Amino acid sequence: MRIATFDEGRIGVVANDDTIIDVTDLLEQYDPIEQADMLPDLITHFEELRPELESRISAGGGKPLADVKLQSPLTRPTKIICMIGNFREGTDRPIQILDFFFKSPEAIVGDGDTVILPPHDASIFHHEAEIAVVMGRECKDLSEDEVMDAIFGYTVYNDVSARGLGRDTISSFLGKSFDTFAGFGPWIVTRDEIEDPYDLQITVDVNGERRQDYSTSDIERTYPDFISYISSVMTLHPGDVICCGTNHQGLGAMQDGDEVVTAISGIGAFTLYVQDDLKREWERGIDRAMAERVRTQVDRPAVPSSGGNNS
Amino acid sequence: MRLLLTSDNRIAVEQDGGVYDVSSVFDDIRYRTSADRMPRVLGVFLDRREQIEQAVASGEPIQVSGLQAPVPRPPKLIAAFGNYREGTDRERQEQDMFLLSPDSVLGPGGTVVLPNHPATIFHHEAELALVIGRRCKDLPADERALDALAGYTCGIDVSGRGLGRRGPSRIGKSFDTFTPLGPAIVTTDEIADPNNLRVTLSVNDELRQDFNTSDMEYNVPEVLSFLTGYMTLVPGDVILTGTNHQGLGALQDGDHVRMEIENVGVLEVDVRDPQKREWPRGVDQEFANRVRGSVRA
Repeated sequence: MRIATFDEGRIGVVANDDTIIDVTDLLEQYDPIEQADMLPDLITHFEELRPELESRISAGGGKPLADVKLQSPLTRPTKIICMIGNFREGTDRPIQILDFFFKSPEAIVGDGDTVILPPHDASIFHHEAEIAVVMGRECKDLSEDEVMDAIFGYTVYNDVSARGLGRDTISSFLGKSFDTFAGFGPWIVTRDEIEDPYDLQITVDVNGERRQDYSTSDIERTYPDFISYISSVMTLHPGDVICCGTNHQGLGAMQDGDEVVTAISGIGAFTLYVQDDLKREWERGIDRAMAERVRTQVDRPAVPSSGGNNS
Repeated sequence: MRLLLTSDNRIAVEQDGGVYDVSSVFDDIRYRTSADRMPRVLGVFLDRREQIEQAVASGEPIQVSGLQAPVPRPPKLIAAFGNYREGTDRERQEQDMFLLSPDSVLGPGGTVVLPNHPATIFHHEAELALVIGRRCKDLPADERALDALAGYTCGIDVSGRGLGRRGPSRIGKSFDTFTPLGPAIVTTDEIADPNNLRVTLSVNDELRQDFNTSDMEYNVPEVLSFLTGYMTLVPGDVILTGTNHQGLGALQDGDHVRMEIENVGVLEVDVRDPQKREWPRGVDQEFANRVRGSVRA
C-alpha cells in the first residue's frame, strides 16, 4: 500500500490507477492533537486499519494524483537518522565502521517543493539520493531477526548536502540540516510491497540529465545489521526515519533553477526545485572529483580509534 | 521564574523555597505524554507569565516527590563542539554544532546507563543548556537573541569516546539516558549575564569540572545566531553550549554526579554499568591536555 500526505496535511492512500483516496477521517478516532500525529497513528494502528483502507481502495472514487499537491509523507518524525557512506561504490574495501548522524526535522520538504540554498560560503551543494526506512513501532535493542518486522515501509529521500562548512577537523554534518534540505517523497510504500529491498534502482535526474544511478544491492551493511545497531543506541518511535546512505558515484551540484527528480524503482519519484538568491554557479554534471575522493578515502580505520575525540 | 515538571506530570513554579502547581494555566494544551506536552507548553509559556504569577500568588505550596526533565523529549537536541578557550590564547575556532538523539534526555535523579558498546571511556561534560521559547530563524548575534529563550537549565553531555568513524562521536553521545537535563527552566530575567556563570561538576563529592561561562569562545547570542542561520528553532528545542574539557573524567558504575550552575540550579544523577567496567578515577588529565593542544586552530 502507498501512503501519502497531500493538500495541507490530508492523509491518503494511492490506488493503482494513480488516484488518491483521502482517509484522514479514519484517523480522527485516534484523536490527533496535530497533523504530525496522524502518520504515526496510522502506522501504529495499521493492521487494524488495513481492511478498511483496502476496501476504500477497491471502492475507488479518489482524486487523480495530478489534481492534488503531494507533500512529504513524513511530517515531523522525532528523529531523522542518516547512515554515513554505506555503499561499496565499486571498491573492494573492507566494510567500514558503522556511523550515522541526525538531520533537523525542520528541514523536511516534499514533492514540488523548493530547496533554498542559504547564503553560507559552501564549496558546493550536492544531491544525495537514498532509500529511507520508516519505522513501524516503538523499539529498542532489536535483534537482527526482529528488524524487518519493525519496519513499516520505505520512501525516497534526497539528503541535500552543503560541503565545506564548519570545522574541518571534525564531521558535524550541520551543512545537511539547513531548512528545506531533507526531501522525502512521493509516498511511503509498505514493506510487504517491496519484494527485495536489496534490488532497487535509485536515480537522480537534474534537468533531465541522469546523475546518480545505483542499486541497493551495493549496500555495505544489511538493513538488519545497521537498524539493530541504531536501536541498540536509542529508542525508535513509529514514523522515525532511517536514511540508508548514498552511493557518491554520481553526485552533482544543485543550483538555482534546477529541477531535481529523485526516484526508486518500485517506490516512486518526486521532484524538488532549487532556488539560490545569490545565483552562484557550479560545474554541471557529475562531480567526478567528489566521487573519486569517496572511493579512495583511507582515513576510516578498520577498528575504532582509541579516543582523541572531543566536543 | 523557575519552571519545573514534576514526576506526577504537574507543571510547577519554584519560588521562595516553595513549589506551586501552575498546571491550570496550561489546561487548554492537549497532549498525549509529557514528551509532547512540554514543547507545546513552552510555546505559550512566555506569553502567560502573568497568569502563572497569579496562580502562584493564589496557590498553596505542594509536596513534590520527584522531577522529570523540564523537556523530556525536545523537538531537537543540538550541541556545540568545543566552545571554550580552556586557558589557551588561541584564535577562536570555527563555530560548529551537531544534532543528538532527543531520546537521550534523562531527568533529575535519574540513572545514566552505560551501554554494552566498546567505548574507550564515558566522560561527563557539564554544559549550560538553552531552552527555546519562540519559533525563530536568523537571530541576531546580540542580546536580542535571548528573547527567543524560555530560559536556561543544566545539561550533562555524557560522551562515549571512540565509537563511529572519526571526529567527536555523535553515536557516543546519543545513547538513551546520556543527556541529563534540569532541574528547572530558569527564565532569562533571572540571569543577569549568561556568560558569567560558574559551572561545577562533582563525582562522588570530588570536584572535577569548575569553569565559568565567561570563557566561551562564542557567547550565548552568537551560538543562537549561528544555529538559526542554519535551521528554524521551535519551542522546546534544547541547545547544549559546549563544555570546558579541563576537568572531564570517567563515569562508571555506582557514581553519583552533581552538577551546578550558579543561579540556575543543581542537577544530580547516578550511573549504572551492567558490565561493571572500570576506568581511572579523577580528572582525565591526558584528555584535557590533548584538547588544549589538539584544538588549536
